[in-house]
Amino acid sequence: MKNLYRSILTFISVLALVFSFGTANAKVEGDTIVLGAAVSLTGKYSTNGEHTKNGYNLAVDRINSMGGVKVGGKSYKFKIIYYDDESNSKRAAQLAERLIKQDGVKYMLGPYSSGLTKAIAPVTEENKIPMVEANGASRSLFTKGYKYLFAVLSPANQYLEVAIDLAVEKNGGKPVRIAQAFEQDAFSQDVRLGVLDAAKRTGSKIIIDDKLPKELNDMAATLAKVKAVKPDVLVVSGHSKGALTAIRQISEMKVDVPMLAMTHCDASKLAKQHGAKSEFALCASQWHKTLTYKDKFFGDGIKYDKDFTKAYGYAPPYQAAESSAALLVFKDAFERANSFDTKKVRDALAKTKMQTFYGNIKFGSGGQNTAKPMVLFQVMCKSGKCENVVVAPTKWAAAELIHPIPPWSKR
Amino acid sequence: MLAFTKRELYICGALLLFLLVAPFVFVNFKLQLAFMLILIILAMTWNIQGGEMGYNSFGNIMFFGVGMYLCASMQIGLYFPLAEWTESGGEKTFVHEPDQYFKGLALGLAFAAMIPPIIAGLIGYGILGLRGHYFAICTLGIGIASGELAGGIELIGAGQGMTAPPFPKGLGDLETRGEFLYFLCLILLVATFTFIRWLYTTRFRLVLNAIRDNEDKAEAMGIETMRYKITGWMISAFFCGLAGGLVGTMVGYIEPVEVAFDGREMGVFMVLMTILGGKGTLWGPIIGASAFHIFKESFWTLFLGWQYVALGVLIIVIVIYFPEGLMGYLREKKPEWFGEVIDEKDRKAQISLD
Repeated sequence: MKNLYRSILTFISVLALVFSFGTANAKVEGDTIVLGAAVSLTGKYSTNGEHTKNGYNLAVDRINSMGGVKVGGKSYKFKIIYYDDESNSKRAAQLAERLIKQDGVKYMLGPYSSGLTKAIAPVTEENKIPMVEANGASRSLFTKGYKYLFAVLSPANQYLEVAIDLAVEKNGGKPVRIAQAFEQDAFSQDVRLGVLDAAKRTGSKIIIDDKLPKELNDMAATLAKVKAVKPDVLVVSGHSKGALTAIRQISEMKVDVPMLAMTHCDASKLAKQHGAKSEFALCASQWHKTLTYKDKFFGDGIKYDKDFTKAYGYAPPYQAAESSAALLVFKDAFERANSFDTKKVRDALAKTKMQTFYGNIKFGSGGQNTAKPMVLFQVMCKSGKCENVVVAPTKWAAAELIHPIPPWSKR
Repeated sequence: MLAFTKRELYICGALLLFLLVAPFVFVNFKLQLAFMLILIILAMTWNIQGGEMGYNSFGNIMFFGVGMYLCASMQIGLYFPLAEWTESGGEKTFVHEPDQYFKGLALGLAFAAMIPPIIAGLIGYGILGLRGHYFAICTLGIGIASGELAGGIELIGAGQGMTAPPFPKGLGDLETRGEFLYFLCLILLVATFTFIRWLYTTRFRLVLNAIRDNEDKAEAMGIETMRYKITGWMISAFFCGLAGGLVGTMVGYIEPVEVAFDGREMGVFMVLMTILGGKGTLWGPIIGASAFHIFKESFWTLFLGWQYVALGVLIIVIVIYFPEGLMGYLREKKPEWFGEVIDEKDRKAQISLD
């Protein structure tokens, strides 16, 4: 009896001890500005989560080594607390809560993917914590009236609109027949909305409109239909896994379409993984290294590409580039606010107008970046070596779009 | 047997006191604690099937998800057009007034409590005839299928997910929302505990145990087992649905596969927690869920990227060293705590036989 009573007391005190761990951290410790980020290190977004983390880290190192952030005449360094959100929205929301409440983080960086950003945004908004995110493109993020959310990237509905316009243009201005398949997630569904808009605008017809499950690794049913009805454009979006699956099965089933438009070709290292099989795929991208934007930390895209490759052993996909840009934005805002007050930093963020190696950044009223267009590149192969070459918009085009894609029998 | 023994009274009193003051002492841990309460509820209700009745259900997560969607949808739909709220890329922003928020939440929770048991009754009638692995696999399928189905319904946001109404602004301070939700969870936990504790003192539990031990024999003795199985599942569904409604409100963002019908995590966790604590007992799920949650929140972040490996190790340790759960382990080591008297002379006598 007494034993039991005592053991319960012990249990409760152990509880108390465990819970009192690590509460007393502050947003700015000494000369360090602490940022919080939950990124996907495990689960279905782990590849892109890694890109995001590497992008953040590269920028932190660069900014710190180049004099840090100057606030009130003093120089501060960035530091990021990372948690693994397991590619799960519920977990991401809990971790955001934890970063803010227990780790005392006052400034947040975004996670990877629109879904996870959507889960975290209500928490940061509630606690009035400014969040600069680089990987949540879903339009619905920017229509909720969030005041503390800032995205350095273009909204998802703009991803493949250009591709449809391009297809119509190549069709002599006449409407095209579109087949599309999108993963069931916030981001891809928004890309779909963009395509629907473009189809409506150009009078094009959607003849296949399929939904793909999450964690997708088979889309043979859609492709069989595509083979039967022969559309002018096939649009596929489903993060990295979707891009890889699409190319694998299109080449296996020898599906001939004049134009194949996708997302996440560079994040999935499509050209490297599938080589010539992925040739002619048209991809929406937030960024490409050949674009001519500049800043003083990373120089330009080509230099960023080199530095990133040196640090992490692979060429940076746009997910990494935009993540690095997020830190440049934070640095700029801190210096303009000249304060650590979250409200002041938030106001400074809202007034951001700058150029980074990644592109121009200026936030619209919903927090989306309104100053940067999307680009399209096409996978092109020369003697077995495949590369992503920008083909649209014309301002940055390094090569002419190859259209239509030659049939498999001639490849 | 409904009356508390003195010892039970001490334990329950101490725990309740702790839970009542916890949100004010550990201010920053409120929502994590609230999650712990939810996990305890899920483990306790799973125990009705998995522990008492011997039916390993992986489908209880369905009630959780249905409750979550119902609660949020009702709360929104009562005042605003739901389709416009969830429309992907919808340009409109609706704001709930405080009294709309609370009335909506009350109605939402009422639906989250009432509908899942009905579903449990209907489905249960169809599948509770399956036994053993067949039942487990079937419910697993139901859990996964419901997530995919929800991901196809545009009205509730499909794969885009939907946001639950945010807590009204300007109501109390930053802590108010956390405190409000914490106490809702606590109320639900106390209700669940009281009900299940009462349930376990009735003949109902004996019937469930009879089904677990030998269903054919139970039937031969004239017990209409189907009725009891369905009733048991409906009880679980009732509390799971309510828990789901609360979690939806707490998380704020409802996504079909990861938040609502999260069989991969919550669905497995509720089984794991119950087994960790000791299934087929009243306190086992409670101890298991608390220990699991504390382990997870304290050490999870130390293994950045490796946490599931750590979880795997934990499962192996449980299976090898505590096959009967923590309660079973305690019972074996300290039988006197459970009011079991061991006749030392008799025990020694047995040992000296050889």
